[in-house]
Parts: sequence; C-alpha cells; structure tokens
Amino acid sequence: MARKSWMYSVLEAVQYEMQQDPNMLWIFELTPPVASNPGKPVINLEKEFGRGRVVNTGIDENWMVSATLGAGLAGSRAATYVPYQGACMPFQVIQNHAGKLRHMTGGKASMPVVFVMEMTGQTPGFAGQHSDYEIDTYYAHIPGVKTVIPSTPYDAKGMMVSALRDPNPVVYLYPAGLRELIEEVPDEQYEVSLDKAIVRMEGSDLTIVGSGASMPEVMKAAEALKAEGMNVEAIDLRSLKPMDTETLVNSVNKTKRLLTVDQSYYTLCPGAEVIARVAENVDGARYKRVAFPDAPPPASPEMFVWMRPNADHIIGAAKKLVG
Amino acid sequence: MLDNPDHKNEERMSPMATSRRGFLKAAAMAGAAVSFGTSIARANGEIGFWAKDLTDQQLTDMFTTILRIRWHERTMADKMLTDPEYRGYNHFYAGQEAVATGVCAALRNSGGVMQADLAYSTHRPTGHALAKGVDMKLMAAENDFRATGLNGGYAAEMHLSDPEVGFMGADGMIGPGPVIATGSAFAIKARGSDQVVVNFGGDGTYATPHFHSTLNNAALLKLPFIYVLENNLYHQYAHYSYSCPMKDIADAAAPYGIPGIVVDGQDVIQVYNAAKTAVDRARAGEGATLIEAKTYRYYNHWGAPGAKPGELGAFGYDPLAISSFRPEREVRAWMQRDPVDIARKIMIDWGVIDAARAEGIEASVKQEVADAFAWAAEQPLCKPEDGLRHVFVEGTVEARQFG
Repeated sequence: MARKSWMYSVLEAVQYEMQQDPNMLWIFELTPPVASNPGKPVINLEKEFGRGRVVNTGIDENWMVSATLGAGLAGSRAATYVPYQGACMPFQVIQNHAGKLRHMTGGKASMPVVFVMEMTGQTPGFAGQHSDYEIDTYYAHIPGVKTVIPSTPYDAKGMMVSALRDPNPVVYLYPAGLRELIEEVPDEQYEVSLDKAIVRMEGSDLTIVGSGASMPEVMKAAEALKAEGMNVEAIDLRSLKPMDTETLVNSVNKTKRLLTVDQSYYTLCPGAEVIARVAENVDGARYKRVAFPDAPPPASPEMFVWMRPNADHIIGAAKKLVG
Repeated sequence: MLDNPDHKNEERMSPMATSRRGFLKAAAMAGAAVSFGTSIARANGEIGFWAKDLTDQQLTDMFTTILRIRWHERTMADKMLTDPEYRGYNHFYAGQEAVATGVCAALRNSGGVMQADLAYSTHRPTGHALAKGVDMKLMAAENDFRATGLNGGYAAEMHLSDPEVGFMGADGMIGPGPVIATGSAFAIKARGSDQVVVNFGGDGTYATPHFHSTLNNAALLKLPFIYVLENNLYHQYAHYSYSCPMKDIADAAAPYGIPGIVVDGQDVIQVYNAAKTAVDRARAGEGATLIEAKTYRYYNHWGAPGAKPGELGAFGYDPLAISSFRPEREVRAWMQRDPVDIARKIMIDWGVIDAARAEGIEASVKQEVADAFAWAAEQPLCKPEDGLRHVFVEGTVEARQFG
C-alpha cells in the first residue's frame, strides 16, 4: 500500500498481468508505458518486456486497435493505449468488428482485449479536437463491448485488472484530466467489477449521478450541498455498459430526485441513459441534466470554461430540483 | 454554383500560368512526351532551376517571409517563456521556414477558395500560414484567444484558417487532412479550374492509412495535388524510423506512378524549384507529386520546453517526451544549416540585396512582429456565451451546463 498516481496504479496492474502471461502484448504510440512514483521502482513495460511484446507504433490508431483485436482472435491477451488525439480513429474496428464478432461467430471468437481510450484533460485553450469529451457516449452505444470509466486511481487499477482478465473486449476510458489524482492504492492485484456503480456519498434528498472526469466536481458540489443541509446521494457510474440500473433505481426510489452530470455533450450523454432507466422504474421522480452544450469546445478559455459543467452549475441545478 | 465556371477560370489565370500551359500544349502537339517531370524538362533544355525566373523583388519577398516566420516563432517562444500572463502556445516551425516559404512562393495566394491555390496545414501551422499570406496581427490575436483574432477565438493555433488566401487550416489530427485535401483537388479538377492543392504533412503522416488513400486517389484521378511531406525526423517524440521502413519517404510515390522528389528543406531555392515543377505539372492537368523536404525543427514538439528566452532553439530535457528525446548534438548540427542563413547568403551572393539591406529587412521584420504581438495583446477577450454560436450556420445552441 502506498500513495500512487493514476498512471502508476494502472501500469502496476498491466505489469503484473504481463509478468504472469508471457503472451500478453501492449501496443502504444507517443505515450510510453512508463511511470514513476515516490518510493517505488520505475515501471517501464517496453524495457521490461522488450519490443517484441511492447511496441511503439507510428501514428496509426487504426492499426493499434485492429492489431490488438487480431492478437485476441489469435488467442493472446492484448491491450493498447490510444491517446486522446486519436480515440475515434479506430471507432469502426471496435463498433463493427470487436463489438459484433462474438455474436456473429455464434460465440466462437475470442477477444480478451482492452482498448485504453484516453479522453482529453478538457484543457482550456486547445479547441475542438484536443479539449473534447465525447467518446463515452459513442463507445457506450456499442453492443458486445464493455465500456468502463474509472474516476479514482484505486478503481483505475482494479478495473484495469478486471478488464485485462475479462474474456470480452473492454473499452477502458481514461479521462486524462484525472491524471493528477493520487491516493492509497494496494500493491497487490485486486479486481473492481466492470458492472457496478458505486455510491460515493449517501443521502436521501437528491441523487447526483456522474462518471469519469465529472466526478471531482460532483463530489465538490455534494460536499457543499451537504454543508448547507441537503442530504445528497452521489453515485459514480464507473461502468457505462453494462449500466448498473439497480443501484440507480434503488437510490432514486429513496430520493425521488435525480440530477445527472456529464462533461459529454447534452444529447445522448450517459446521463440521458441514466434518466431513461430510472424513469422506466421509478414513479413520481423529478429529473435534471447538467452537460456540456451541443457545441464543440471552443479554444477561448473564456468561452470554454463557461460551457464546461462545474460544481457551481451542479449546486445551482440541485437547488432548482430540491427547492 | 457558378454560372459559367470555365469562362471565369480562363479569366483569372495568371499570365505565367497561361504561358506555361501554352508551352505544354505546344509540346504535346509536337509529339513530345506529355509528362512534365524533371527529366522531360531537361530534354527540352529546361534545367528545373525555376528560381532563375524570379525577380529581385520576388526573391527579396521570399527572404522576408523566412525572416517573418523565424521572428514570429522566436518572439512567441520568448513570450511563452517570460510572460506569465500570456496564454498562447505553438508547435514551433523554426528551422523549417524554407519549406513553407519555397512552396507558397510557387502558389497563387489570393482570391478565396474559388481562385487561390489551397494549402492544407498541420498542427505546426504558423509558418505555412504566414507564407500563404495570413495576416500576422490577426493570427497573433487568434493564438492569444482574442475575439477579434483570425477565427474569433474559436480556433487558436491548431485550427487557424483563412480561406481568403487559400489557407485551408491547421489541423490537430494526423491522418484525415491529406485525404480531405484530395477532395478539394477533385472538386477543382471537376470544375475546370487551374487551382492546385498543397498538403503539408509531417513524417508521422506516412504511417497512417490515410497516406495510402491520399496518394492512391490522387494518382488514380490525376488530381492537381502536391503532398509536401516535411520530414523533420520526429513525429511528436518518436524518430521516424519507428513509423517508416524507408530512409526516403519520397520512395513511396513510385508505386503510384507519380514523381517522388527529395529536396533539401533548408534551402528555399531548392524547395521553390521542386514546388514550381510540381505546381506547373498539376496546373497542366498532369497529376500529383510527392515532395519530401528534409528538414528539422529547432524546438521540441510542443511549446518551448528546454528553450531559453532570447536564444534560438531548445536543447534541454522535454518532460513531455518521457522516454525519448532529441540529442542536443543533432539539434546543433542541423542549426549549422540554418534556412535563414542559407537564404541570406544566396540573396547576397546573387547580388539581390547586400548585407546592410538584409540587416535592414530583419530589423523591420522584428518590429512588425513586435507590433503584431502588442496589437494582439490589446484585443478584447471572447464573450463566454459566444461559445454557443457557429455550431450551425444559423442561430445558437442551448446552454446545457446549468441544468
């Protein structure tokens, strides 16, 4: 147990699995699988396992994802880390191949593969292609692919272990804006399930549901509202597909008010699915959605920061729902 | 669309383009090979050294453009390093100036998308933009997120665009740009225009599947298209040997049956000669060319890590590079063949300008750049709610962040 950064926690999980399984592969471009942490040995997968198993490709996300899938079909576990600039370049391979092959082959295709999809840090100033946060919606729509999105280093490691051990293709979304997070993370391997949301704060007045990069602001807002006397229940989705309907429904059955928070665009954001599932199962509840407007992120920080959902927006919306 | 596009095309052809086309038609009628590749030109007594035809003014303009790019980059790098209030950033082009300058000197740089030659740029766009004729003040304001900037503060460095001068835009992605550019070339050919399309791309573009699609379709459809591949040896932080099995990426042209030319990207005259050959070929309807310019960037992939204020180049460790970075000796070796120094020497040796005039030009360029950044810094910031505009042609989208 030690305080660990996000990437160190994740690479610890990968390193262990690769040590156990000499066939397992890792494919990357631009982002070397290297991490250091105070008081811990440097992890460098390329050095440890060699370029035969850990390959630095050209800028070709299509190959990265296709090759990972192909390795899985040939019986080797494989994972790839696609940086945010290219996270939709290989969309078709995941949507039309990885997502459908098991079903189309009557269950014969083997696909023990993980696609690590980096989402941007939502950094102000970088405009449309480098500030966006939208692939959660796209990948969660695909049948046959599990799509998960941890929001803490602890979950990041545990869900990476589960993803690497899962016989299904997993899109493992990594909101890079969370790379600064540090927390206590066990040294040994442990699994965090790929189909369970988690209640981060218990309460009875209002349910707030977020995921990934929205969670720090959700928790900040929840703490502030709690200090003002509102009993907020805060839920971290963690898995977008499959979505943990039970945890959501149980919560809103209690609170009768649901606020969803997404950094993704409003239309079809994960919160839209959350509200639909709850509305089908809970009578007499009220709903609200906080999300990024249906506009690409502009470069100007003045425009972008105003559009990006934050704790103040969440607090305002919560008060409209509860007041 | 246009009521009579063919007629308009004829009207707007420059005299030089007309005479070149005339020459080609005559050559074809005389039974000469229709190809306008270098060897054919030589067989006709042409040596391919098109800089011989440039006026002193044109040569001086090229030298000035190189200096404008150089001092724009240096000034911006210094601002990033010294001014904590400054928010702009760049993927610096310093070291590669001769490529953008030599290529754009062979292009028509006004008249909008229906008349200008079109240039598609990259995430390293400021040199291409200046060479193509983008206003430096407006670009500086855009890079500083100002409402009155070139693109209203929506774009910043990675999405600068100015269709009026045929600068089709920077692009933050590696892959789709050149394929899109062939679409413009396809449209130009279909409407009978004599425009040409240039795609600037780095060595990193070779590894993308889009590279094949670009050259394949450009060759199949004989498009007026020129792929200027600036091989600065590194895609982001990795040497191009990680992504290309050949030493010369220009070799990739051969299977498509189009010319693949390697050119010294540090020498603006050599770049111009190669570009002019390719542009004439494209205008004459003879199809695409791949030009690989061997060049180098003086700064790291992004921003100014490792650089010092007032000094050219970055030699220090770049934390973004993580496990791979460029050896300082390699950077310094390339800086010995500096495009500014080479151009200056040529201008003086040819008697175009003397050393004093060269100094005078450089001083006025420095002043122009300083004025541009000062003007930009006084421009208004964007209104937050304007972020909801320009999603569609009409209207605004709704604010959704407040619930």
